[in-house]
Amino acid sequence: MVKIQKERHAGNQKSTIKGSGRTIRRIWSYLADERNLLILVLLMIVASSALGLLGPFLIGWGIDKYFATGSTDGFSLLLIGLAAVYVMHSLSLWFQSYWMIGIAQKTVYIMRRQLFSKFHQLSIDFFNKRQHGELMSRITNDIENVSTTLNSSVIQVFSSVLTLVGTLAVMIWLSPMLTLVTMIIVPLMFLGMKWITSRTGKLYKEQQGRLGEMNGYIEEIISGQKIIKSFSQEPQVIEEFRIKNQRLKESGYWAQTLTGFIPKLMNMLNNLSFTIVATVGGFFALKGYVTIGTIVIFSEYSRQFTRPLNDLSNQFNTLLSAVAGADRVFDIIDTEEEAVDEKGAVPLPNMIGKVEFKDVSFSYEKGGDTVSNLNFSAQPGETIALVGPTGAGKSTIINLISRFYEPEQGLILFDGHDSKKITRDSLRKQMGFVLQDSFLFQGSIRENIRYGRLDATDEEVVKAAKAANAHFFIHRLPKGYDTELSQDDAGISQGQRQLLSIARAILADPAILIMDEATSSIDTITELKIQEALQHLLKGRTSFIIAHRLNTIKNADQIIVIESGKIVEKGSHEELLAKKGFYHELYTSQLEKNILLKP
Amino acid sequence: MSIFSFVKPYRIPIAAALSLMLVELAVELIQPLLIAKIIDEGIVAKDLDTVIKWGGVMLGISLLAFVSGIANSFLAAHAGQSFGFDIRERLFSKVQSFSFTNFSHFSSSSLITRITNDVTQLQNTFFMSLRIALRAPLLVIGGIVMAMLVHVKLAMPFVIIIPPLLIFLIWIMTKAAGLFKSVQRRLDRVNGVMRENLVGMRLIKAFARGDYEGTRFEKSNDQLKNRTVFALRVTESTIPVLLLFMNLSVIVVLWFGKIDVQSGRVSVGEVVAIVNYAARITAAFSMFSWIIMVFSRSRASAERVMEVLNEGIDLEDTAGSQDGYEISAGEIEFDKVSFQFPNTNIPILDDLSFKISKGETVAVLGATGAGKTAMFQLIPRLYDVTSGEIRIDGRNIQELKLRSLREAIGYVPQESLLFTGSIKENLAWGKQNATEEELIEAAKDAQIHETIEKLPNQYDTLLGQKGVNLSGGQKQRLSIARALIKKPKILLLDDSTSALDLKTEAKLLLAIRNYDCTTVIITQKVSTAKDADKILLLEDGSLIGFGEHEHLLKSSSLYQEIYSSQFGEVKADW
Repeated sequence: MVKIQKERHAGNQKSTIKGSGRTIRRIWSYLADERNLLILVLLMIVASSALGLLGPFLIGWGIDKYFATGSTDGFSLLLIGLAAVYVMHSLSLWFQSYWMIGIAQKTVYIMRRQLFSKFHQLSIDFFNKRQHGELMSRITNDIENVSTTLNSSVIQVFSSVLTLVGTLAVMIWLSPMLTLVTMIIVPLMFLGMKWITSRTGKLYKEQQGRLGEMNGYIEEIISGQKIIKSFSQEPQVIEEFRIKNQRLKESGYWAQTLTGFIPKLMNMLNNLSFTIVATVGGFFALKGYVTIGTIVIFSEYSRQFTRPLNDLSNQFNTLLSAVAGADRVFDIIDTEEEAVDEKGAVPLPNMIGKVEFKDVSFSYEKGGDTVSNLNFSAQPGETIALVGPTGAGKSTIINLISRFYEPEQGLILFDGHDSKKITRDSLRKQMGFVLQDSFLFQGSIRENIRYGRLDATDEEVVKAAKAANAHFFIHRLPKGYDTELSQDDAGISQGQRQLLSIARAILADPAILIMDEATSSIDTITELKIQEALQHLLKGRTSFIIAHRLNTIKNADQIIVIESGKIVEKGSHEELLAKKGFYHELYTSQLEKNILLKP
Repeated sequence: MSIFSFVKPYRIPIAAALSLMLVELAVELIQPLLIAKIIDEGIVAKDLDTVIKWGGVMLGISLLAFVSGIANSFLAAHAGQSFGFDIRERLFSKVQSFSFTNFSHFSSSSLITRITNDVTQLQNTFFMSLRIALRAPLLVIGGIVMAMLVHVKLAMPFVIIIPPLLIFLIWIMTKAAGLFKSVQRRLDRVNGVMRENLVGMRLIKAFARGDYEGTRFEKSNDQLKNRTVFALRVTESTIPVLLLFMNLSVIVVLWFGKIDVQSGRVSVGEVVAIVNYAARITAAFSMFSWIIMVFSRSRASAERVMEVLNEGIDLEDTAGSQDGYEISAGEIEFDKVSFQFPNTNIPILDDLSFKISKGETVAVLGATGAGKTAMFQLIPRLYDVTSGEIRIDGRNIQELKLRSLREAIGYVPQESLLFTGSIKENLAWGKQNATEEELIEAAKDAQIHETIEKLPNQYDTLLGQKGVNLSGGQKQRLSIARALIKKPKILLLDDSTSALDLKTEAKLLLAIRNYDCTTVIITQKVSTAKDADKILLLEDGSLIGFGEHEHLLKSSSLYQEIYSSQFGEVKADW
């Protein structure tokens, strides 16, 4: 993979020609990775250009020699030679596009891969602030733009430049003075181009941005269909989409119109240049500076000179939108990796399971305090229950233990190691999670459970499913463990999803187990059964459990009661009850109902 | 319906754009004549005035071409962008009318790609067609006609070779359309993996499965690459092939030309002219093959777009459903309702019959996977029953307008789906024109007002996608508030208080009591259920108990079991 210098400011960079230049150079650095093939393509372009010229030349020569004179000596040889030239011409064309397609697609492949792996290095926070669909748009719509351009434009640009240089050389050789005259249009051309691109560059980036926005909106609306339908929000949603669609249309309209000007302008300047050459040339000829023959040849060449420029300008449309696309991809690639492991972080050795919080404070937004001055320690094998009202900060503690976020102050120690000095992956590999949102992937049930430990055998998967009490319902599905789960939830209930997540965590066999409302959607009878299994499972590992149903955590070694981000009570169930504090209040509120039941 | 129906509204700008393009083309054809004049009559004759005169004329007509070109840009961009706009809008509206069965036919990522990527493809092609596509066929036809005017017999090789080449082009185009369709399918897959990773990022990080996901992505990325490479290579091979045949036909022309020149039937100039036209036709042909690639891509995209537009909607207002009927009471009756999810053969609900009276509160209890949520989703017709009938206020819900049915129902699903936007906007989903007081009232009843007040921007606080910056309990209460603001006749709470602590939950349920509506609550907690007027017990999709708490505690063994799982042993004599 290519090493890319980090450009932190890339996000707000202005899409001027300069900015585009930087992006193009960067795309180029990807291409440069395929240097050898690229050189071959270049050779093929040279060959095809030369052969393309050789054909007409041979014909011209042949007409002079054979048609005008009537000689037939070697005529068939000429035709055979011509055929050979044509075959080679086609072959060189074929090879250049064959290789170029390979290079271009490999480049976008690498860009896609880089973007994907970048996503994995970004913090959870990054994703919380962005729409999935908008991010997806960068992998499809934006990279797609780059792909299209690389395929068609690179060859075009190369051969145009080649022709340009060649023609220019001949022109200078013929008459430096007339060449200078022809060049009068070049500054005009640049002015025109600058005027257009300074606008279109921005517009294309805007267009891609709006396309991304729209992508994000569509994604969100599709995944929220249930709510949209049951609230009859279809008309409103369609209206909102219309606005986004309109905005996309507007920037697209101006981008397309303005880039459409480029070839027209070129054509115009072309003719202007020709007229100037003819007039000035005529004047020179009268004065005897140049011969008429030179002017005739020159007028032809000046057209030749502008033709590749014309081609280049024709490519501008795609080129600009590709630059805008690439820019948006690089924006992400350049985003700071907040979750990168600290310098010198080492893998955590196999854990015994001791977890300590020392004066830990943290807030999601700078300045606030979501949790503050947390102090507690979990001994190896202990079960710790986190209890408290909604929004007290329980999930935040879990987020800190799993290092989705880093504490602002204080230390978190795992087996005595400072969390900042160990790598995240090595820590998480020793943890098992059952999270609030039980996310399942598209794939079979077996694959989903196996996600906990990739090398688990089928028997182990079934064993874990049995322990999680999931085997019972899986077994009854027509395809059993091979039942394919789709992204929409049809066919499998929320509670069943939680059972599968639990099975997944059980299979992982972690040193630390984290269960955040893991059984909230599971009926209490099943929950009891799981708990029995868990009792067994929890032995020998440290576990953190968040649950609202207090009777599920009665057996915990330590119950930590949290209110407004602070630890208010700590101790076993009995100890806390005896204290008659906050926990007692919580517990009896549940009990009260029980008491009320009695006749 | 076909994609061309979207072109129709823009007939006039299209016609204008094409005419302007013809003006440009005409100027382009006249220019060589003018250049010849300038050289022959001006430069060679050393007549500077003539040079200036014809030069002026040339600048004049090129200015005309320039103006036409600029106007063409505006028109083509207008038509192209509007065309794309219309298709996107139709697609999105269509998707909004999709039932969940329809949704199961397309993955979300595929729908997204179709609405954006595929439409962009079509739009670009349309734009290109208006600007240049017509030139190629015109040049080819013009070239052949001119060549035949010069000398019919010598032009014969082209006349013979061009039809098979055209057939070849059409064949490649059909083939390529298929290839590009499979490219788009693979793009869907890459998109799909991407989307899953974005949605499940937390879990992936938690399990440290970045590498595993990387391999998975790599695989679909690799397939996409290989397919794209193959499709492009096939289409791009056409240029060399076409060139080769055209050029070989030139050799044939030369061969016969030589013979004919010798016998004096053809002049050398005629041979030169025909060879010249061959070069022009060949140039136009290579433009052709580029056009073909673009068109085959668009054809694939068009098909994918039309698949969505032509998808039959299987759940919509039934013919004869009455307009204007509003649910007033909120009495719910299930009559022998059976249900299974579309495209599956697992029965979820089996012969379910019960009646909930107006204003009652009913708790639904049952094991995981008993069919509670499925039962709920049938009421606002997110799915239709497989057999049987659901009646509200005595009317079969299939006879009601979907809109009036759903407007009377406040549905709070198990996972609280919130949207990017402010809290206020999210709450207003329930009622567009809700006043500040109504918002606050609903929020207070849902026990979320105080929490909102504590946020930095209160009701204007922005939520991330799916409400990511809120805790589970906060999300649940917000989605309850969103349903309450509707003042629904029927309130459906699908385990939507599971993340609330008991105190908050009790307050919330008490507040809901003041609403004039029939309330059905799915819950796991007996403590919640026992406060309801009635409890409905579900097991494996069948109704096994429906009655008051005391009654069920005596009669139902399942209920006893649930009860004891939460409060310890129940005495046998209860």
